Amino acid sequence: MSTLDKKPAQAEGRKDPWSQLLVKVGKNQDREAYHALFQHFGPQIKYYAMANGMANHAEELVQEVFVSIWRRSCLYDWKKAAASTWIFTIARNQRIDMLRKMQRTSAEMPVETEDLWQIPGEHENEPVTSLHRLMSERRVRDSLKHLPEEQITVIAKVYMESKSHQMVADELNIPLGTVKSRVRLALNKLKVILQDQNV
Amino acid sequence: MKPHHPDTTTLMEFSAGNLSEPHALCIRLHLDKCADCRSRVETLDSLGAVMMESQPQSEVSSGMFDTILSRIDSDEGGASKHAGTAAESSGRISPLVKLLGDDLNSLPWKRQLGDVSVLDITDRFPGQNEQVVLQKLAAGGKAPSHTHRGEETTIVLQGAFADQKGVFNQWDFVVLNQEDDHKPVAVGCQDCITLSVLSAPVKLTGRFGRLLNPFIR
Repeated sequence: MSTLDKKPAQAEGRKDPWSQLLVKVGKNQDREAYHALFQHFGPQIKYYAMANGMANHAEELVQEVFVSIWRRSCLYDWKKAAASTWIFTIARNQRIDMLRKMQRTSAEMPVETEDLWQIPGEHENEPVTSLHRLMSERRVRDSLKHLPEEQITVIAKVYMESKSHQMVADELNIPLGTVKSRVRLALNKLKVILQDQNV
Repeated sequence: MKPHHPDTTTLMEFSAGNLSEPHALCIRLHLDKCADCRSRVETLDSLGAVMMESQPQSEVSSGMFDTILSRIDSDEGGASKHAGTAAESSGRISPLVKLLGDDLNSLPWKRQLGDVSVLDITDRFPGQNEQVVLQKLAAGGKAPSHTHRGEETTIVLQGAFADQKGVFNQWDFVVLNQEDDHKPVAVGCQDCITLSVLSAPVKLTGRFGRLLNPFIR
């Protein structure tokens, strides 16, 4: 990402209205901004929960995610992640947490969900990667429009229905290799794979 | 993907939150030391956000926002409390240390045969279907030749080992399956310790096969 200079990335972060709103929540406990975020992301998160087979807990998940957003908004740094990416990772972690709590027997896990799945920008000091992060979301959004439907379908099942590639292959009745190659083609276009040597 | 890193589809399942805890632990330990893979996961997290945004939406119940507000109101100090834990996290304790303490060498290893010791830590991951084992190969030691009936995901925690595919150093990640009949050797002057997640028992192929069956099972 060394070819990108700093200015466009910073402009990117400043332009994103959701990131601006999230900063206001973090700095001033701004409830109007919080409400705007809720109206935008709440229905997305509810669908995310329902698609993931948590229909009975979908509203509970939305609540947990928003309480968590409020509590940790002071840690949010627009230079390190777009608001939507930050919120997605919180929704993902709350989903994992809820499932873990439901499955947990008497034994407690010494490792917390967030020890394994981190929220971008909270656990490290890496100014170098922040440029990459800010650019990546827009790049992903722009290139997603040009992907063939069959590639988007596979990715959607992994992200929205928490399916492994094997499960997607079984469901679509196509070989695992085909699923993986669709994902790789897509990720190549999204430039997730920078230099894949021996695929 | 390069042989010593998780492949992109695995990173995607990680980013989507679909991996089991032991698998996620292997990925996390690798990510903590590998900036390239970390950067891939960041882009994949963005992909998750864009997927969530591009899917249909479900209307939330009308009173929900008020419920949330009353929760955050009754939770005054919650934000500052959280800021405290975040400050602590800047000196984050590795999940490995939380799980196993800070001295891998002094764990209650069970000597198997010759140069190999194992420690089964499956019970640290309640409710999981996979077997999770630590393996230690004494410095300079050799493990018996074996293949894998299912899939074995391994991360090197200390030292290094070598097999037909190359040298695997600390924090390298490798997935072995039925096609890999390998005979690892610990290289360097430290014992080599690995963490493996196994989806099915290992099948030994050497002449000690039967005898060694418990090894890396």
